[in-house]
Amino acid sequence: MELKSNVPEGPLAEKWDNHRFSSKLVNPANRRKYSIIVVGTGLAGASASATLAEQGYEVETFCIQDSPRRAHSIAAQGGINAAKNYQNDGDSIQRLFYDTIKGGDFRSREANVYRLAQVSNSIIDQCVAQGVPFAREYGGTLANRSFGGAQVSRTFYARGQTGQQLLLGAYSALARQIKTGKVTMHTRKEMMELVLVDGKARGIVTRDIITGKLETYSADAVILATGGYGNAYFLSTNAMASNVTAAWRAHKKGAGFANPCFIQIHPTCIPVHGSFQSKLTLMSESLRNDGRVWVPKKPGDTRRPGSIPENERDYYLESKYPSFGNLVPRDVASRNAKEQCDDGKGVGTTNLAVYLDFAEAISRDGEATILKKYGNLFQMYEKITDSNPLHEPMMIYPAVHYTMGGLWVDYNLMTTIPGLFAIGECNFSDHGANRLGASALMQGLADGYFIIGTSIAGYLGSTEQDIVDNGHKQFSDAKKSVQDRIAKLLRSSEGGPAGKLTVDEIHKELGLLLWDHCGMARNKEGLEKALAELPAIQKKFWDNVYIPGTGEELNQSLERAGRLADFLEFAEIMILDALDRAESCGCHLREESQTEEHEAKRDDAGYSHVAVWEYQGEDGVPKLHKEQLLFETVTPSQRSYK
Amino acid sequence: MPTTNITLSLEIWRQKDSKAKGDFETYKLSNISTDMSFLEMLDVLNEQLTREGSDPVAFDHDCREGICGMCAAVINGIAHGPEPETTLCQLHMRHFDDGDTLVIEPFRSRAFPIHKDLVIDRSSLDRIIQAGGYTSVNTGGTPDGNSTPIPSATAELAMDAASCIGCGACVASCPNSAAMLFTGAKISQLSLLPQGQPERKERAMAMVTAMDKEGFGNCTNERECEAVCPQGISIRHIARMNREFVKASFFA
Amino acid sequence: MLFIQFFKSSIGKKWIMACSGGFLLLFLCSHAAGNATLFNSLPLFQAYSDQLHSHPLIIAILSKVLFMVFVIHIVTGVVLFLQNRKARGTGYKVQKRAVKYSQASRTMIYSGLFILLYILVHTCAVSFGDHGTIGLTISYLFSSPLVILFYIISFIVLAIHLNHGFWSMLQTFGVNHPEYNTLIRNLTYIVPVFFLLIFSAISLLFIF
Repeated sequence: MELKSNVPEGPLAEKWDNHRFSSKLVNPANRRKYSIIVVGTGLAGASASATLAEQGYEVETFCIQDSPRRAHSIAAQGGINAAKNYQNDGDSIQRLFYDTIKGGDFRSREANVYRLAQVSNSIIDQCVAQGVPFAREYGGTLANRSFGGAQVSRTFYARGQTGQQLLLGAYSALARQIKTGKVTMHTRKEMMELVLVDGKARGIVTRDIITGKLETYSADAVILATGGYGNAYFLSTNAMASNVTAAWRAHKKGAGFANPCFIQIHPTCIPVHGSFQSKLTLMSESLRNDGRVWVPKKPGDTRRPGSIPENERDYYLESKYPSFGNLVPRDVASRNAKEQCDDGKGVGTTNLAVYLDFAEAISRDGEATILKKYGNLFQMYEKITDSNPLHEPMMIYPAVHYTMGGLWVDYNLMTTIPGLFAIGECNFSDHGANRLGASALMQGLADGYFIIGTSIAGYLGSTEQDIVDNGHKQFSDAKKSVQDRIAKLLRSSEGGPAGKLTVDEIHKELGLLLWDHCGMARNKEGLEKALAELPAIQKKFWDNVYIPGTGEELNQSLERAGRLADFLEFAEIMILDALDRAESCGCHLREESQTEEHEAKRDDAGYSHVAVWEYQGEDGVPKLHKEQLLFETVTPSQRSYK
Repeated sequence: MPTTNITLSLEIWRQKDSKAKGDFETYKLSNISTDMSFLEMLDVLNEQLTREGSDPVAFDHDCREGICGMCAAVINGIAHGPEPETTLCQLHMRHFDDGDTLVIEPFRSRAFPIHKDLVIDRSSLDRIIQAGGYTSVNTGGTPDGNSTPIPSATAELAMDAASCIGCGACVASCPNSAAMLFTGAKISQLSLLPQGQPERKERAMAMVTAMDKEGFGNCTNERECEAVCPQGISIRHIARMNREFVKASFFA
Repeated sequence: MLFIQFFKSSIGKKWIMACSGGFLLLFLCSHAAGNATLFNSLPLFQAYSDQLHSHPLIIAILSKVLFMVFVIHIVTGVVLFLQNRKARGTGYKVQKRAVKYSQASRTMIYSGLFILLYILVHTCAVSFGDHGTIGLTISYLFSSPLVILFYIISFIVLAIHLNHGFWSMLQTFGVNHPEYNTLIRNLTYIVPVFFLLIFSAISLLFIF
């Protein structure tokens, strides 16, 4: 596997211009001769589909939901960053670039991140033109807020529903193209396999979720916009259907998978209530601005929080990090919460929670002020937990939220398979080892609206391809392999459910294994243990899973089983990657690599690279490739929050 | 309210596929924690059915945060259940009592055919948006975001309408199965904003025409849609659509 | 063409209901004003009637227009009712409303049909009689308590119909603004109660 990043020549600020100038184009009249498959209709997929159709290509777009308006981008609350500097507070493209690359702990590619900052401004203009009702100042100009510890106000927002509004903007642009016939929309179809012809991505196999019918679609290029793999952990803030299948199928066909161990774990989620819990709900991090995090000093203290006296409480973040206190970065807050719970000091029915207490803020500022700031969050919390944070401290616990890792892509967002592109959370490109708040929306839309068009033209304009339709043997072979896989999934269900396990039971087991050993803090021993235990879970799945029904109908158990089968395989490279990266960086702490004060220690000499995994067949050991990261304009610095 | 466990009797609409006839089946479910969400309760039921070798209940769901609009069912006659401004996934079992019987039906409308059990086809709503629920701007070349000031109050009003999650509860709850709140919200959002002005009239005409073509009923101002809308969208937006449609029809 | 398209549309039909309803409301006002002469005396009422019928144009045109509007209101209402029933397809097992106090809106078709019945009775008994002796006709009519009872029940039904109809008309016209919604809500009670009181009082005049 050759990792050619294809970063253009020239100074950082001119690379994108140079690239667009030197990149091949496709004549507008010729574009309709090309067809492009887009899988996924989140911010990246919907915006890419709409934009490519506007440019004249024939687009086939797929999503697993019943409508392209439902992808999980919709759940993003906080906002979207852009280097507009509307607030005149010293922001610039350079600063957004630097914040992003520093936030990612210097594990991302300079040129990609700089381009992201460059196109960020156009995203806002585009969304405004679509009628996205961003918050406004009284004078009618766009409002901004400071987000995720940034020192400038550069986050644009639409109440707590920014992701929804941006997605509906992209969805409306997509709807317009569906109307014109340039986009053919396929809802409730799940991509099951990627089809290569002559080593290039030429199509996909899908399963119709309603009828179970397998279908093949051919095209001149395939774009994956299928999101992240956080659901490997079973419990995450991701939507229930979010999965790794499309990316994993591509990986097995030869696409390198980059940094699979880079997972962002968000510190302020509503804790798990019981074994029935199906997903976790995120609450804005801004809560930590006024809330104080604490646990009882005595392990196993079951008193109600109100009856634990002040001197028996451990405000562990404040005592450990006196200068940042409760405002330490996400990873530090998450890690410490887990440590406290592992020490038996966790609270709540499951002992997997810490308190976030607003009592002091309320007595200082008054209830009205606190409610004005956090009213909707308090309401959301009360709706789910039935407890009012005004009277009783909130309980919070970290949860898997975003995956920085993904399919390896070059500067053009093309994977190691020619003609296969990956955009949005599905690729690895911009966030390094940690993503800044309000940057996921920015990246999804940057890729879809402003980058992929250039890449597609560049690829199609410079590639000779035969005309291929889905009558080609590769398509029937791929379809056969999917049929076989479904048959294999259903095989162990013969003879009824007695003594068998449900899909979710096995998924929970996998999730727990990853959470315990490949979560926020990792060590060699734990990772090796996880690696050793994984095959048993995989075996249990294939031997013992019970899936009711058949493959030729709407069968939600079968859908989940297929996705879990891929998570089970994928987990191996996640653990391997975590094992190989013997440094602490970004979102995770490697216990062997910390300072004397127990702080994360990055190892630039050993790990300033992107770890890219290559599939080596059913029985082969995944092979590691490295793309060295070269920093021409920034100097990697160590973080310190003491 | 402390967590307790309750026992429920569920009457759920079961329908094998779009052509099958379908009927209610009754299930007993015990040990349901009041901390569960409604969908988690259905998960528990499905695990139980799976272990018994029966077919689990198919239901749509995705984000489970009340924003994607995927989950949909009518609980004891009310779309999304008894709590106001709450989607099914955010409805918790603490709002039910031990021994309750819950009748769970799919959203019903001629424009929402049933695929299986509680899973319905809402593509009719997508087609309404495709008829004109957008501004015809291509990617690129748009003016600076601040070039057209929009009063904060107008932006907020547009946001009220834009917050629609497209779940279809308005249709399901309307005695006439009308999609006026859904359509009105989009027409209203874009007619309030300067960006929506160039196509304002064509949009109102096209979207209302598309809505009528899909087989939704007529609005008779029953206000049920507003009462069940998980986003609390006001029928004020239907009133605005009524005005927009007349303007578009006679003053285009 | 535009016209036909508009009236075939769902919102167009709403406007037909609202406009015809609005016209009928205006007719109710004039009818109430005319009948209010009875509070003064029977001869004054007879004089009002004679005056009214002395203008053949009023009768020839207005009565036909009124008849047309009635027909339009009723036919559209029935069409809407039938179309809307079809739009649901299979009904719900549990039929429940989320809106409190939805009795009026729920029963529009039935209250409307009852009012139609009342109108048939009323026009047969009064309007088609001899206008020269209308005063005598009504005093004879209202001497029967059963007739009065029927009339008052009809007025109650009318009030219920108006309670939803008046608000619904404004909503269809696009009149819905938080600043005025309290006023509108109050009017949805004041207007029907006003007609209920005035018409009931007139029918009761003859027993006291």
